[in-house]
Amino acid sequence: MNPWPPHSAPFMHTNTSVTQVMLRVQIASILPLVVHIYFFGWGIAVQWILAMLTGLVVEYAMLHLRGRPVKPFLLDGSAVITVTGLTFCIPPESPWWLIVLGVSFALIFGKHLYGGLGFNPFNPAMLGYAFLLVSFPAEMTQWTLPSAVSGHTLSMTESLIKIFTGHLPASIMDQVTGATPLDHVKTGLTQGIGVPETLNNAQTIWHGVAGHGWIQVNLAFMLGGLYLLWTRTIRWQYPVGFLGALGLMAAIFHAIDPNQYPPVLFHLLSGGTMLAAFFIITDPVTASTTPLGRLIYAAGIGVLVYIIRTWGGYPDGIAFAVLLMNIFVPLIDQYTQPRVKGHPR
Amino acid sequence: MRTVLRAFSRLYPMAKRWLKRFPGGVYPSYRKELSLRHPCHDPIIPDELVLPLQQHVGAPAVPLVTVGERVRKFQRLAKPAPGLSAPVHAPTSGLIKAIEKRPLPHPSGLPDWCIVIEPDHEDEAGEMPIEIETPTCPTSLKQMILQAGIVGMGGAGFPSWRKLPQKKGQVHTLLLNGAECEPYITCDDMLMQTRAEEIIRGACTIAACIGAEKIIVGIEDNKPRALAAMQQAAEGRGVEIQSVPTVYPMGGQKQLTEQLTGIEIPAGAHAVDVGLLMFNVATVAAIHHASEYHQPLISRMVTVTGEGLNDPMNIEALLGTPFATLAALADPKTELNYPLIMGGPMMGFEVPDPTVPVIKTTNCILANPPQPVEPAMPCIRCGECMEACPVNLLPQQMYWHAHAHEWDKVEKLNLFDCIECGCCSFVCPSHIPLVQYYRHAKGEIRKLREEQAFQEHARRRHEAHLARLEREKQEKEARLQAKKAAVKKQAAQQTPASSATPSARQRAIEAAKKRAQQEAGGASTSSAADKRKAAMEAARKRAAAARGSQDKSTDTTAEAKAQRKQAAQAAAKAKAAALKAQKTAQQSQQTGATEQQSPRKAAMEAAKRRAQALKAKKQAQTGENSEKTAPNTDQETAEKTGPQKNGGTPMATTPEAADSAQSSPPSAEARRKAAMAAARKRAAALRAKKQQESES
Amino acid sequence: MISAVVIFIALAALFGLLLGYAAVRFRVEAPPVVEEIDKVLPQIQCGQCGYPGCKPYAEAVAHGEAINKCTPGGEAVMLKIAEILGVEPQPMAEGEEAEKSRMVAFIHEQDCIGCMHCIKACPVDAIVGTTKAVHTVIAQECTGCELCVPVCPTDCIEMQPLPETPRNWIWPDPEKVIPTVIPKLESPHP
Repeated sequence: MNPWPPHSAPFMHTNTSVTQVMLRVQIASILPLVVHIYFFGWGIAVQWILAMLTGLVVEYAMLHLRGRPVKPFLLDGSAVITVTGLTFCIPPESPWWLIVLGVSFALIFGKHLYGGLGFNPFNPAMLGYAFLLVSFPAEMTQWTLPSAVSGHTLSMTESLIKIFTGHLPASIMDQVTGATPLDHVKTGLTQGIGVPETLNNAQTIWHGVAGHGWIQVNLAFMLGGLYLLWTRTIRWQYPVGFLGALGLMAAIFHAIDPNQYPPVLFHLLSGGTMLAAFFIITDPVTASTTPLGRLIYAAGIGVLVYIIRTWGGYPDGIAFAVLLMNIFVPLIDQYTQPRVKGHPR
Repeated sequence: MRTVLRAFSRLYPMAKRWLKRFPGGVYPSYRKELSLRHPCHDPIIPDELVLPLQQHVGAPAVPLVTVGERVRKFQRLAKPAPGLSAPVHAPTSGLIKAIEKRPLPHPSGLPDWCIVIEPDHEDEAGEMPIEIETPTCPTSLKQMILQAGIVGMGGAGFPSWRKLPQKKGQVHTLLLNGAECEPYITCDDMLMQTRAEEIIRGACTIAACIGAEKIIVGIEDNKPRALAAMQQAAEGRGVEIQSVPTVYPMGGQKQLTEQLTGIEIPAGAHAVDVGLLMFNVATVAAIHHASEYHQPLISRMVTVTGEGLNDPMNIEALLGTPFATLAALADPKTELNYPLIMGGPMMGFEVPDPTVPVIKTTNCILANPPQPVEPAMPCIRCGECMEACPVNLLPQQMYWHAHAHEWDKVEKLNLFDCIECGCCSFVCPSHIPLVQYYRHAKGEIRKLREEQAFQEHARRRHEAHLARLEREKQEKEARLQAKKAAVKKQAAQQTPASSATPSARQRAIEAAKKRAQQEAGGASTSSAADKRKAAMEAARKRAAAARGSQDKSTDTTAEAKAQRKQAAQAAAKAKAAALKAQKTAQQSQQTGATEQQSPRKAAMEAAKRRAQALKAKKQAQTGENSEKTAPNTDQETAEKTGPQKNGGTPMATTPEAADSAQSSPPSAEARRKAAMAAARKRAAALRAKKQQESES
Repeated sequence: MISAVVIFIALAALFGLLLGYAAVRFRVEAPPVVEEIDKVLPQIQCGQCGYPGCKPYAEAVAHGEAINKCTPGGEAVMLKIAEILGVEPQPMAEGEEAEKSRMVAFIHEQDCIGCMHCIKACPVDAIVGTTKAVHTVIAQECTGCELCVPVCPTDCIEMQPLPETPRNWIWPDPEKVIPTVIPKLESPHP
């Protein structure tokens, strides 16, 4: 009458599930999505839907090919997180095949070929992003300007036309796309223009702090991240370690030479800083798992991001920083094991 | 600070984790109110009581009663086996219906030996089996607890006497565990509400015996009534009642100890080592009964609860009462066609059969209709398990290695510090049965260790076996040589058959006797390899002596005799040393495994006797052989000892044969007697062994 | 050109000396290989390898005997020996046996005639008995080598698994019990 052999206690459960965890991340990303649409137009919504569809098809195909049960893995929502993370990273008006390629690469090479959920050593979204960045650098740097800056808001139809055909009147295109604030600072420096000057002159900079629109999106990410912290979906060590290290690096170098190095707030509120702090590096599968290890991992990413942003060839270095630290995760885990109760340190 | 945290925990529930001293812990939904709606149920006597011989950690008890015997309440039914064990007593009067294998309340669901009593419902008490009047020192308290058969009643089942310190004053603080952190279970709560006085007095008795200066009782703050009752009972007795935050697993020994005293018990150490001693409140109540009324442990408070019952309750149940009987009392909502759980939902286990009996560790019978088992998803390394772990382990990494069957790596991650509380499985979003992985890994590692120990043991036994064969061969050769020498000498001297010199065989017998004596008395610690060498050396000497005697047999018989005797003695000594070495080797191997000692001892005894009998028998055979077909024997020996013959022709003439035949009958008779005795002893040993087997 | 040659020769000499010194100074005594091998052998003393016991086989292996002859130890032991000796693993002669529980000999006493054959065959002296008296096996000492089975004239010895009791029972592998979507280790990835 009993199911035998027995299974072990506990016979209770907290009613959490992988799906639930992933769902919370998805909920937290709604606010940034809305803010993003508000400032940068509908492009991201189109990209997001496109990415979702691609993700669904790729997941289904891969699970089927690998002979895995489709339903539990399709419903676990991990692909959705990857897709969302990647969507926020690519320019909103980039051609449709960019996101399709990126998502496919992220899911196939970043996840399934390693054995699927829980077995991938690298963050799939960042792997996809890095793949796109090195393969299509031109397309990846054509960012849409915030409507407040360009003075033109792309309508839904215009976005669709741009994404799927690439043919928009050149006048509009020149008007709505341009460099990101991080790019501005970098190119300014190469032309001998100091950081304070760029920050004050560039029309894309908001109150001389960081990029217009970018600040708001970053703050939205932070709010979403706080929700994740409150629901214990992510651990405090990730944002604290990452933002702390990045801020500290920025503070030190800004103090050394304000003309050469942008201030702390500029670093914290531009590019994908907050996205990374709360949504990207918090991916538990590829991050360190011990409490101290998480801090080290996050701080390592922070330092690397600053280094790549300041001295590297790319305007933003989050993807490479994350991937580099992913390599170190087993090592960090090995040497940061907590003291077990009753054992000497 | 606490109030601030408490307020904050409304906003952020997991802030509750900062209220306590040990890490981790979880907050399952408590359903303790279910079984607290009614006062304690009246005790019942069921139609059948099943008393397993093993209700505790350690060796099963040894039955003292036979089927068909009438027993009275409190009568001792089984005595504790040597080592870690506890006796079993009759919960009521009745007939012993059977002693047979019955399913046990054990996760394996395997049957084991039980004494089955058919109660006569007269409940006639017999003599109390406890001889200690009032315990005054740790030793007498130990004796009393052992005689009362009290084991850890919180669920661990570790014989309580073993936890006590050796000397007075070794323990400075006595801790009482009334935390009862499992959701659903309320038996300790009920006990503290109704018998607080007994618990406090029991604690005072123990503290007085072991010289503890302080008594602290830890009770979770979700049991206000128990707290109040205990506080009232403790008034003026110097017992501190501490309310501890409600968190699972607060009731874990190490966890509660840290919460109450701030002392972290080092891994591998016992609480006694740091001057602490912890007992469950139910155990203390049982100890009080033993010291005050000299009653053994025959019943315990059991919570019968669960979502599947209409009338969950607590009941003072006789040990041996079937689960089904108790569950039926609580009015099941539907037919109990799902497995009952012994213990709480966090650490309990499903029992294979509803008829399994209540044992000393049964704190709860839980009838929860089973939830559908969620399929396990892959680990996403979220780290929830690590934050829930009260021991600070890395459950997720341990799982990883356990899943890959890398037992050494799991062990390195301190698997054996895992208390199997189930917090990690409880919080795992992937629904991975983590605890079961660890339990399986622990079992596998223990099995591997046992196997290794057994391999080592087998290797030693094989070496001893080889050494024995070698020795026997040498002995045989030496005997033959001696005999031949004697024959030759006699032939040369042409003396009558009944000469003053004893025959070679007799001398060999004498040597054997001496050896046997030395076996008992000799002392040596040489290793197995040494002993083999020594045996060979002795054999060589013996052979040389024999050869020497052959050469010189014509002139100096006395000298030859002396030589031979010396050689024999040397051989005997070497052999004794070898045997001793083997014995010490075997004994050193069984490190502390006292429960195995007796069968092994018996086996060794038997083996020794067997060896003696074998020798005697062989000698008898040779005697008989020489009696019947003397020439044949010589031919055989000639074949066997070809190179060592030294050209000496076998002189098998009839007079010598007759001589040996004459000398053999009385000694052969004695030998036969010895063999019979040995056989009898062996049979006894065999019986003992069989009994042991039947008990286990 | 010449200076480069001189430098390299000097360097080569220096490193050679260093290496030579290190080899002498930090010399590690190789552990006795026979003992090491003997340790990993199952010590059943069954003689299935063609040697009279585990130790002789260990000695033979150390002197170049094939490492795949220990049938009871199976592949696991073969791999361990390969590791100790630093040689290529050799496939086991027969198909790998499924993992089985420890077997011990059991004598059906009604058929035992007390012939002593099995007692002589037992490599670990685990059988008790004497002439014309019923023999029995000390289960705790039996290694399950099966050497006593063929010598019995009445075929009264049978190999039986050690009975499973609550004391030697261990929790089953959860992967065999609980439905999971995690791929089993044994199954190859499709």
